[in-house]
Order: sequence, then C-alpha cells, then structure tokens
Amino acid sequence: MLIRYITRRTLIGFIQLFCLVIAVFFLIRLLPADPVSRLVGLNSSADAYEQAARQLGLDRPLLQQLGIYVGLFPDIEAGLFQGSLGVSWVTGSPVGSEIAVFLPVTLQLITIAFILAFFVSIPVGMLGALNPGKAADKGVFVYSLFAGSQPEFWWGLLFVYVFYFQLGWAPAPLGQLSPMTLPPESVTGFMLIDTLIAGEVGKFFEASHHLMMPVITLAFILSGPIIKMVRQNMLRALQSDFILYANLIGLPRKRVARYALRAAMGPSMTLIGILYGFMLSGAVLVESVFSLGGIGQYAIRSVLAFDYPAIQGVVLVITAISLIVYLLLDLIHAAIDPRIAY
Amino acid sequence: MSSEIKDDLLEETAYVSPVRKADWLMRVGVFIVALVVVLAIFGPYIGPYDPTRTTIRIAFPPPGLTEIPGLLLDWISGKLDYPPHWMGTDANGYDIYSRVIAAPRTDLKIALLANILSLIVGVFFGLLAGYWRNWGTEFLIRVSDVLQSFPVFIMAMVLVALAGRSSTNIIIALALVYTPIYIRLTRAEVLSQTSRGFVEAARAMGNSELSIALRHVLPNSLTPALIQSSVTIGFAILLTAGLSFVGAGVRPPTPEWGLMISTGANQIVLGEWWPSVFPGLAISLTVFGFAVLGNALERRYEKG
Repeated sequence: MLIRYITRRTLIGFIQLFCLVIAVFFLIRLLPADPVSRLVGLNSSADAYEQAARQLGLDRPLLQQLGIYVGLFPDIEAGLFQGSLGVSWVTGSPVGSEIAVFLPVTLQLITIAFILAFFVSIPVGMLGALNPGKAADKGVFVYSLFAGSQPEFWWGLLFVYVFYFQLGWAPAPLGQLSPMTLPPESVTGFMLIDTLIAGEVGKFFEASHHLMMPVITLAFILSGPIIKMVRQNMLRALQSDFILYANLIGLPRKRVARYALRAAMGPSMTLIGILYGFMLSGAVLVESVFSLGGIGQYAIRSVLAFDYPAIQGVVLVITAISLIVYLLLDLIHAAIDPRIAY
Repeated sequence: MSSEIKDDLLEETAYVSPVRKADWLMRVGVFIVALVVVLAIFGPYIGPYDPTRTTIRIAFPPPGLTEIPGLLLDWISGKLDYPPHWMGTDANGYDIYSRVIAAPRTDLKIALLANILSLIVGVFFGLLAGYWRNWGTEFLIRVSDVLQSFPVFIMAMVLVALAGRSSTNIIIALALVYTPIYIRLTRAEVLSQTSRGFVEAARAMGNSELSIALRHVLPNSLTPALIQSSVTIGFAILLTAGLSFVGAGVRPPTPEWGLMISTGANQIVLGEWWPSVFPGLAISLTVFGFAVLGNALERRYEKG
C-alpha cells in the first residue's frame, strides 16, 4: 500500500515538474528581454550578434529549443532526459555542477535555522497555549504576528551593525569563512561537514561563527509562523476529548501537556514542510546580506545576467526538492499519526 | 517572507485569539495603516527636501536625541540656512527623512494595485471554477496549482528583470504571484455557498445561472478574499522592497524603502547605520500594521 502511494506521488511529482519546466521555458522566452545583446554588448556588430545567437541556439525555432532542453535531440546537445540541465551562458560550465556547489550552502543554512527556530518555538508556543488569554499568551501572539511580518534582510543588516560593528562578537558578513582562510576540500559541499572530514577543527569553528548571524536572522523570521501554528495546534489539541479525559482522571499537568504536544506535532509538521520548501528560495535575501553564496544568490546572478539555462535549472531544482520534502513529511506524518492510512 | 506560505498557515490555523474585545492591537494596526495611506497621498510634498534631488551634504549623520530640541528651535527662529536632516543623508547626499515619507507613494501604490489586480482576476476565476465545475475549470485549477508551486521570489525576480524594471512590471509580477491564492480562496468559498439553501431558492424563483452566480453567490463569497487583501498588501510591500534590495526592483532615485536599505547596506559595516535603519523601520512597522489589521478583520469575520 505504502509503495503504491509513494509511486503515485512520485509520478504526480514528475508530471508537475514537467509542466513547470514547460511553463518556465516559455515564460522566460515570452518576456521582452534580449539575452544576446546582454551577452555581446549593445554596440556589437550584427555579425557578432548573429553568431552569439547561433552559439546559444537561439536561432532555432522555439519548439526545437524546448526539445533540445528536454533532451529529445541528444545528438545536438544533452538535455534533461540525459540528466543535463544545460550549460550556463555566462560561465560556460554545466548548470548542474554549478548548482551542486551553491545548493548545499543554502540547505545547510536553512536546515540549521529551522532546527533552531523549531526548538525555540515549541516552548514559546506552548507557553501561549497553556495560558490562554493571559498576558503571556498575548505577548506570544503579538510576537508571532510581528516576527512573521518582518523584512529579514533589514534585520540581518541590523544584526551586522550591532554584533559586528558595535560589539565585535560576529565576523564581517563576507561569506562562509573569512576571506583569508583557505576553504577545505569540497566533499559534500556542506562547509561544516567538509571541515570535519578534513579534520580541521579550527575551520569548523570559524565556519560555525560565520553561520551564526544568518542562522539567527532566519530563525527569528521563521519563529513567527512556527510559534503561531504550534500555539494554534496546541490549543486545538488541548480542547480534544482525550485531553479532557486525561485531565479528568487526574494525570499531572506536565504529562497532559506532553500528550497534547504530540497530538499537535502532526499538523505542524506539514506546515513546516511547506515553509522549508519556501525557504529554499526565500533565504535569498539573507544569503546576499551575508554573502554566503547560496542557491538564491546564484539565482540573482543568473536572472540579472539573463542566463536562461541557469534560471530554468534553479527553478527546476528548487521545486523538485520542495516536492521531495513534502513527500517525506507526509510519510513522517503517517508514521506519527496512526489514523492516517494509504 | 512571502504571503503564499502565510496564507497556508493562516488557512490551516483558524484563529483563536487571546486579544479580546478591548482590541488595542487592532487600533495599532488601523493607526499604522492610516498613517501610511496619508503619507502615500501627501508624503512627497511635506518633506523638507525633494526626495529625488541630492544635497551637498554626503553621509551626514542624524542629530542625537539631545540635539533635536535645540535644532528645532534654531530652525523655527530661522538661524539655520538649510532645514535640518532629521534622519541624516545617505552616501549620495539624499535627505533620508524626505525619502522615507515619500516612499509610501511608491511602495503602497505598487502593493495596492498588485493586490487589486490579483483580487479581480482571482475572484473572477475562483467564481468561474467554483460555480461551473467541468474539465475546463478543472484545468484552470491545475494551472493555478503549477503557478503556485513556483519559487515565489525567484519568479517575481525573473518577471521584473526580464520584462524591465518598471513599477508596472513589478505590479504585474506581484499580481501573478498572488492571483492563485485568491482563486483558491474564492473557489473554496463559492463551493461552500452553492450548497446552501438560498441558491436553490434563487434557482426555484427562476433566476438564470449567470444571475445567481453574480448576484447571489459572488457577494456572499467575497469576504475571505477581501480580508486576505490586508495581509497580501503587507507582504507585497515586503516583496517589492526585497526585489529592490537585490537590484530587480524600481530604479534609483525613486524613493522606495527597499532601495534605500540597499543603498545603506554597504555602509553599515563601516558604522553608518542611518541610511538603512530608518527606511527598514518604516517597512517593519508598515507590514506589521497590515498583518495586525488583517488578523483583526479575520477574527471579526469568524465571530460572525
């Protein structure tokens, strides 16, 4: 049953991705941008212009371009079916391998930020839910509304000013390591793991130090919606019959709260999944404040340079990961909640 | 953050609010929103400087709190030869105060128009898909689903950067991002309304399907979308500012909060905090105001 469910979801996912690829492909090309003149310069001769257009394959009919991108003409150029995301027009290297460099940075950043936000939000959300209507609850409620509606890039800058310029606790916002440090050999692409593999504990701590501010910034913004939903789901769970029963038979308050929390976790997981998928591209502003060089910054670079294959690649990869995360979370949800059957 | 996620969250978690009758929070929201609206109308005229003209004073720090009264006195008695820069000037010499209060004209206009556009289109298609259920409208919903699975910020950036950095293009890009939310909201409401008795009654009275849809179902299905508007406007302001921050928004020297923060971003590591901090404060309060207002309206609606 479970296998069938996973197969069905994966199949639907592929169809969704396929529609997305086509939609993005045409959307980009319908917009009135001229990538060729962006590449060769506005004052180039007509000859040079045509040559560049031919090199990029832009002189071919639109449908043939799509066919090549999808991989129907492997003799001209490898496409999606051959596992290739195309070649970047700006750097000339394969988009797939470029994304493989930028993506782990973002994954590392948002995963740690989520873990932090999650562990801060659960007690705070519970505090609100266990004291409904009291001052603590009001405070929690207003905080969650506030944190969830903030410009994260501005908070990042503010933290840089306070913790780097004024207090000197944080390093300059210049990347994952300080510019003078030689990065360790890239094995997984995750800086924290790579430094450990290379056995360089000093660099591990340096990387952690550099990650501190961006993680705190993101976790602050994320804590808004997460607290809101932990509080909400807790309140709902606390009103359910089995909690009333647990209270009636005189179980200790702490134990009842723990039961309620477990019941509240299920629906919260789904929403965290949605948030995670969103943060893959939503972390872009924080990445650029701290110059981390994540997938979002790669997206900015590609968009501003009109690098079509790179734009398509980024959108495709981010959406694919979100879909995988949704699937995983649904499976976890089913494992937690025995009422769900496939 | 984008509103798409927020909507999902809001939808999943119907509000049980701790803030009851004496709704001070809503008053705060109304006050902030009203102030921003007033500034959007009069802001560009009441600042002491032209928001798009530089002055000769570069990166001039704002007066300290203790200096303000003296400065005010000097200014009124005409001892100063130029109006004081209450929030300092930035690295190009623009007066920050004049730009901060002129910016709502840009930000609110973009957010408001984008919201109205997506509201109209979204409600139209939502009504269509909710009231007439066939393969055509089913396809429409699928398209809107695919549109919604786009990474929001990157999509908005692509649309604006490739179509040209103008306010109109930002409005269209934001509208495209927010339309699926309204389609979904309206469709859900239409579905629940059509199962009610008054639709049957209207049909029994001999009304045509079109007139039932437009005169009976539509007015009853608008509320969730209208409430959502307050939240959407807030997040549209955030998105507009974010786009400017990465260089895919309005062009300088348009007074726009995100652009102002971006101008000051390079100086903040050197200790020049004022070019970024004041416009950021404005965004922070504005979006919070819209979020609070939307939340309060939602609670009212749920109470009935």
